[in-house]
Amino acid sequence: MTISGDTPLEDRLADDEVLGWRLQLAYAGLHPDATAVLLDAHGPEGAVARVRAARSGNTRAAEAAAIPAVARVEELAELGVAVRFRGGPGYPPHLGELPGAPDVLFVLGLWPTGPTVAVVGTRRCTAYGRNLAAAYGHTIADAGWVLVSGLARGIDGAAHRGTVAASGKGAAVLGCGLDVAYPREHASLRDELLALGGAVVSEYPPGTPPEAWRFPPRNRIISGSAQAVVVVEAAVRGGALITASLALEQGVPVFATPGDVGKPAAAGCNLLIRDGAHPVLDPADLIAELELILGPVARRVAGPADQFPWEGITIDDLARSQGTSVADAAATLARAETAGAVARNGDRYYPTLGKSR
Amino acid sequence: MFARVTSVALVGVDPRPVQVEVHVTNGRSVFAIVGLPDTAVREAKERVRAAFGSSGLRFPAGRVVVNLSPADLPKAGSAYDLPIALGLAAAIDRRHGPTTDVVALGELGLDGTLRPVRGGFGAALVGRRLGRRVLLPMEAAAEAGGLEGAEVFGTPTLRAALDAANGWQVPEPPGAPDDLPQGPDLAEVRGQLAARRALEVAGAGGHHILMSGPPGVGKTLLARCLPSLLPPLPSLELLEVALAWTAAGLPRLCRLDPPFRSPHHSATLPALIGGGSGVPVPGEVTLAHRGVLFLDELGEFPTPLLDALRQPIEDGRVVVARKGSTVTFPSEIQLVAATNPCPCGFHDDGEVPCVCASRAIDRYRARLSGPLLDRFDIRIRMNRVDHRLLSGPPGEPSGTIRTRVVAARKRQMARGGVNAKLERGAIDALDWTDSAVRLLDAAAESNRLSPRGWDRVRRVAVTIADLGESAVITDGHVGEALAYRVQ
Repeated sequence: MTISGDTPLEDRLADDEVLGWRLQLAYAGLHPDATAVLLDAHGPEGAVARVRAARSGNTRAAEAAAIPAVARVEELAELGVAVRFRGGPGYPPHLGELPGAPDVLFVLGLWPTGPTVAVVGTRRCTAYGRNLAAAYGHTIADAGWVLVSGLARGIDGAAHRGTVAASGKGAAVLGCGLDVAYPREHASLRDELLALGGAVVSEYPPGTPPEAWRFPPRNRIISGSAQAVVVVEAAVRGGALITASLALEQGVPVFATPGDVGKPAAAGCNLLIRDGAHPVLDPADLIAELELILGPVARRVAGPADQFPWEGITIDDLARSQGTSVADAAATLARAETAGAVARNGDRYYPTLGKSR
Repeated sequence: MFARVTSVALVGVDPRPVQVEVHVTNGRSVFAIVGLPDTAVREAKERVRAAFGSSGLRFPAGRVVVNLSPADLPKAGSAYDLPIALGLAAAIDRRHGPTTDVVALGELGLDGTLRPVRGGFGAALVGRRLGRRVLLPMEAAAEAGGLEGAEVFGTPTLRAALDAANGWQVPEPPGAPDDLPQGPDLAEVRGQLAARRALEVAGAGGHHILMSGPPGVGKTLLARCLPSLLPPLPSLELLEVALAWTAAGLPRLCRLDPPFRSPHHSATLPALIGGGSGVPVPGEVTLAHRGVLFLDELGEFPTPLLDALRQPIEDGRVVVARKGSTVTFPSEIQLVAATNPCPCGFHDDGEVPCVCASRAIDRYRARLSGPLLDRFDIRIRMNRVDHRLLSGPPGEPSGTIRTRVVAARKRQMARGGVNAKLERGAIDALDWTDSAVRLLDAAAESNRLSPRGWDRVRRVAVTIADLGESAVITDGHVGEALAYRVQ
């Protein structure tokens, strides 16, 4: 997938041999910190030579780095993967200015332009968190902004789903190669994301397996490419808080949604708020806060209270609070669900947040 | 020197008369049993010989041949000891021996006592049909007690049986057996309004129902309440239930509530659907015939068991094929199942986070998905009840709800059958309002309903209308039906 007017990779490599060395170094699949240190000290060509020489250490990386960059052109073209060099065209604009940003990015699709918001959170989220993340994803898309997240299970995936449901643009940053379907259940979500004009990116070359140590570094890409980071649910330890602290280092404002004190999935967010993150409430509140940073939004977003006043209501609750029969309450909720005004999760109904009227 | 006594063999749960013919002639001492007997029947020779001696009778010298007819019916177990002994006694003494005009079943001890056997109820039915006196061991006679039109006698020993057959000393006929305790009443269930209502709809329309929710929310209690909501069994169905239970060697049920069975997920395939080595024995699906089969922790049942359940659920009968013969057991059941939404039980819970790996959830769900899940017309999601409601007033008692269910069933019977099983055309022919059709279309379009799901939702809607004594089916009825169909 090349942009029209984009010079083919083969020609670019022929024009500038340094690009070839940089791509060759990226293919070594080293830890991003190691790549950065090598580049700083030895430059692209020297770094490749160093990796190839270090046979005693990591032979896999040494072998991968030994293959000339031109030999990768065909493989990348087959996968539809574009290569973006830091400082070159197509590289996420804000990210490139930050220290420690990846030298090379592998990209499927086109990195969407426009104000960008990151929504991140724990993989082990509650239904409440999942709904909220989806609502944020939906509202951000409705506002015409770009959502960036990690396509992980839990909050990340829910946020992406919200964007896709609103036909918005999003970018997903992976911790593995672009041809590796991980997590597997998000394969279709990733396709939808691409079909709507979004992007899936990784600093790791195709074929890189999802190893645990590769995920924390990719969070700096998420936070670095966004103008705001929203943490929905996070445990005290975990990727979401890493993203938040990276964002603070990078000078990106961090927002966090408050949760129950004592609920493990909310502890990280509450900690962030105590330490100075902006608390955000429902999606309308998030938009109001983000407007201060990203500029006003043309479309007004209806708050959930305007549509459906009961968050997480069950049939029993509705029957009891309205004094109607269970049959009527069930029929009311099912009709609202069919009409798309509410969504069911387990036995609870939630307003479909962020849908503009 | 020949005598013939009638006995009974169970084919499936169905009792068939078997003729036990005894022939005694002079010659070398031989005792032979012919007519497809199994090992236990062949061993009857030794038991009969010993019991004869213990009862003060002389075992005949000469050639004794016992024939069990019809010969193509497989006969198993020790229940033919008594008819063989009676026939033998009659054959050697035509004038003073017992009458052979009886139906007899029972195992003999070496000391001449009679031991309990399965099939007493079936023997009583055969006796009633043939108009003959039925002689059974005491315990087997108890299960046949209270059966109108049958002359059943329980006898403790061979001696007493001989006397009873001659009418010399007729023992007391047994009374109706004691009943098992009733299941719980729905009044015990606090809160869970939607689940209670869904159970009522399921009971009224004969819909299979699946309840999912975290542990401890009352899924099992609710399921156990279902028999108390269902219409009492008519006498013919009560007879079918008694046959099924006694064929499995269980006490006969005399109460009018439909039976309730809840096999554990570690049950074997023959235990669940019937079969086993030797003569096939009814399984849990047959014990739940005309009643409720409750599968707790549905997600824990191994896939082969769940697959094997499909035929009994669909056809209302189990066919156990054996070399040379097939046996059919009845299994008209209403299926109730409970499951956790995931291995830890808290997936999609509003408050408690789920700690399962998502692959584990997928595996758990995959086991339930597909054809089996499709068979549950009503699928509800339950959750914890506020503790303040637990100490609140009791819910509506089962008796009141049963009145509504019976009325709704009456409307369905006038139409030709319960809504869950009514033919499609009869559902189409009902009076659907325009708004009801529009709502169904909208639900189908929003991809929430498969074609089969669409049909099942309509049936549930009809049941809801029946409960409301409404001749037309409105969007309110359809809406409620949609609410009871959690994916």
